[in-house]
Amino acid sequence: MGGGGERAAEQRVFLLPEYLKNASKMKNGLMFVKLVNPCSGEGAIYLFNMCLQQLFEIKVFKEKHHSWFINQSVQSGGLLHFATPMDPLFLLLYYLIKADKAGKFQPLDQVLMDDMFPNSILLLKLPELEKLLQHVTQEKEINSRKYYKYSKEKTLNWLEKKVHQTVAALKTNNVNVSGRVQATAIFSADQASSEKEEDYILYAYGLISDYIPKELSDDLSKYLKLPEPSAPLANPPSKKVKLSDEPVEAKEDYTKFNSKDLKTEKKNSKMTAAQKALAKVDKSGMKSIDSFFGAKNKKKKS
Amino acid sequence: MESGGHDAEARGRVHLRADSLRDAAPAALHLLPCEVPTSRPAPVARFFTPAIRPGPDGLQASFRGRGLRGEEVAVPPGFVGYVMEMEDKGAALGARGSPQDSGKEPAEEELERNFDRVLGATACFSSFTLWGLETVPGPDAKVRGALSWPSLAAAIHAPVSDD
Repeated sequence: MGGGGERAAEQRVFLLPEYLKNASKMKNGLMFVKLVNPCSGEGAIYLFNMCLQQLFEIKVFKEKHHSWFINQSVQSGGLLHFATPMDPLFLLLYYLIKADKAGKFQPLDQVLMDDMFPNSILLLKLPELEKLLQHVTQEKEINSRKYYKYSKEKTLNWLEKKVHQTVAALKTNNVNVSGRVQATAIFSADQASSEKEEDYILYAYGLISDYIPKELSDDLSKYLKLPEPSAPLANPPSKKVKLSDEPVEAKEDYTKFNSKDLKTEKKNSKMTAAQKALAKVDKSGMKSIDSFFGAKNKKKKS
Repeated sequence: MESGGHDAEARGRVHLRADSLRDAAPAALHLLPCEVPTSRPAPVARFFTPAIRPGPDGLQASFRGRGLRGEEVAVPPGFVGYVMEMEDKGAALGARGSPQDSGKEPAEEELERNFDRVLGATACFSSFTLWGLETVPGPDAKVRGALSWPSLAAAIHAPVSDD
């Protein structure tokens, strides 16, 4: 195995879309690059397909106390990496919002300048950028050069569509969006059906919020008329607390997943109407993508 | 996780050798419910595999004297599993060919500099065996939730329709 001797080369277990196998005829058609995470502003690993000009995000499943047997070897950690297609507009949006502080129309190559993540210029190579940008910007053409400016109004409209198409997928995939589903479905079917749509929207909103800056997700919450946070920041959303609590593992090469606090989620499952309303306030009902990956303290004692 | 590759990943790019995806041979993977702290070759076929037998609820095996129950888990539809390793730097540079056939723009070349590393697939898989301690992990296993991610991600990242 690899290096030989006592320590073998690190093996990484990946799940990749099947079409990547045949897509790249070029030698260097696929590459991993570090770009910004549009929600946190920190670094994250993405996969670029230079041939088909596609962007994939890399997510890592990590659960405590797991290891792989891979053929005749053992790989500690038990990590499972996912490469799934990413809408580049979430990344573009991050830069457009940042550039909007200057308050003027700018060409895209200036918008995408990033000293921290110089690979962000790769985004310029993606196809149909102009068409994509129409969803979130106003544009001007001067001397056949395009200039863009972030439009919050268009962006919120675009995000609302994103939320709805995610809701549709949640329904077809039968994702359980609420801890209460079973009990309410059994005992009061009517109530369940009327509440469910809202649960789906809240859940989808949570998923989308992991791709946009906090400020924008707050605006989206208002735009979608989700229950408003009334106690102003007495309890910041649990996700943010986690982020600051967590020591940054500088050596970890892939995106860090700060799992959503499982306890908060559990609490949600047995609640009175009043408690439920309260829970909505601090948005602990909203689902973060992180809940798909990795568990914190899942200790198994038998 | 302390190989020299991380520095490169932080600053540069890691190429995934596309032909390795086509050539990868099938591998047998087991996800164990315990942490083995080091990564190294292990005689899996001598100690673990022969002990696997079908039981009333899924597969049975043991590791370090503990009873395990397992089940086969498929990779999500449209996806393929790969095992990847960082390739040796010297060999990787040789394999990348001369600059004239890479057809890169100067700006791109500039960025690549010497941070680049190459990752290659050494094996592929379409399913793996998921093991639990004493009981089968079942539908609530965390990893099963993660495996539903691609279908959801597809919806989140699909382009929205125009008005």
